[in-house]
Amino acid sequence: MSAVVAQASNPIVRWEYFVDEWDQILEAVVQHLELTVISVAIGFVLSAGLAALALRFGWAAGPINGFTAFLYTIPSVALFAILVPYFGFSRVSAIVPLALYTLLIIETNIVAGFAAVPADVRDAADGMGMSPVRRVFTVELPLAMPYIITGLRIAVVSTVGLVTVAAIIGQGGLGRLILDGLRRTFWTPMTIGAVLSILLALALDGLIYWAGRRATPWANRPKGTA
Amino acid sequence: MRLLAQAAVPREIGVFEWLLDPDSWTGPTGILASAWDTIVLCSIVIVIAVVVTVPLASWLAHYRRGELTATWAVTLSRAVPTFAVAGLLVPVALRQGWGFEPWPILIALLLLALPPIFLNTYTAVRQVDPGAVDAARAMGYSEWDTLAKVELALSTSVIFAGVRVAAVTVVATEPIRAFLGGDGLGRYVRDGLGQNNDGLVIAGAILVAGLAGLTTVIFRLAEGLALPRGVRRLASTSDR
Repeated sequence: MSAVVAQASNPIVRWEYFVDEWDQILEAVVQHLELTVISVAIGFVLSAGLAALALRFGWAAGPINGFTAFLYTIPSVALFAILVPYFGFSRVSAIVPLALYTLLIIETNIVAGFAAVPADVRDAADGMGMSPVRRVFTVELPLAMPYIITGLRIAVVSTVGLVTVAAIIGQGGLGRLILDGLRRTFWTPMTIGAVLSILLALALDGLIYWAGRRATPWANRPKGTA
Repeated sequence: MRLLAQAAVPREIGVFEWLLDPDSWTGPTGILASAWDTIVLCSIVIVIAVVVTVPLASWLAHYRRGELTATWAVTLSRAVPTFAVAGLLVPVALRQGWGFEPWPILIALLLLALPPIFLNTYTAVRQVDPGAVDAARAMGYSEWDTLAKVELALSTSVIFAGVRVAAVTVVATEPIRAFLGGDGLGRYVRDGLGQNNDGLVIAGAILVAGLAGLTTVIFRLAEGLALPRGVRRLASTSDR
């Protein structure tokens, strides 16, 4: 009976909440962004290293891919939780799993990008007398860029989604609003947390897409005009 | 409320001590009952996903339609925010009188399961050797027979791989149900975190990860058995 009364005054979104709890919402968004950016940045650096190993030593490619694929199948609830006894309900316990989950996506895309560089182009660069390091950074990297950017986009979008799960260990940005609303059966923070986290993913995806197009102007040029 | 009803487990319990205690496994809040809870929900999700997606994707691929949907499926499969989706659905489900459970998590998991199955079915059927399809037509197979007996048969292993990926993802994600007002195998992690009981947290994480690992193993084993006899013979003869 009291549940019915509570439901009657418990709309999906109570708009005053935006005014009353603005500070809390803003803090959640900022934390969400921080966790996402830090995790993807760490994941990117590690992925670049792993991808370099896989590309340099052919035999390493299989095991590296197997390892990152294995990491990806570990349940997020388990990976977040297992770190709590060691690092507490801290940022570290959230960032380590988030960064590990991005490895499969980013590493695969970096490798695919470099593998897609035509052999002719590589030969031409060598023929022009470029050092291998210079060839990698001035010829191969720009050509691999579209793949790397696609990988980053998927990694960022999936990380924004996973950050909400980190709410179970007291982190989680907007996920905390969701969990908080759930615990108090108060729908407003739940809805706001869920909607904002989805909007945040779309916004970051669009931002990287835009930045990627700016970074690779040649990729957007219509064919045949070059 | 369910979220607050936590099993009474002594604090600072040893991980293996708890895991090896028969009492932890039996009873309504025991590991076996919780694992069964999880397995049932995941099985329902996967069955619905297969029944909906395989016919749709193979039909689209047979008639060379929905190219764009297939490209989207790649991105989507890695990007569904399960927790947010389930969170949005909880108030809706409660208002409809469906209760806390299991509709929100079921629908959220279903969204997670659809993309990999769709993508694999679509690409597999799409890439079947056109010669085989032409041969079937020349032999008087109807469009339906061509799709069912040639294209789908040749695509079995790739489709199965898609189902495996979907199943592992679903089993790995299902434990958040324990934080959305339900139970399932994720309950021990939730209770452990709530009670500041490190042993229970670690044991719960091991159980959750173990079930996901087990799912991978079982599907890998089943993959070999699921191949149609003709395709298996084809694979063994082409080796020679």
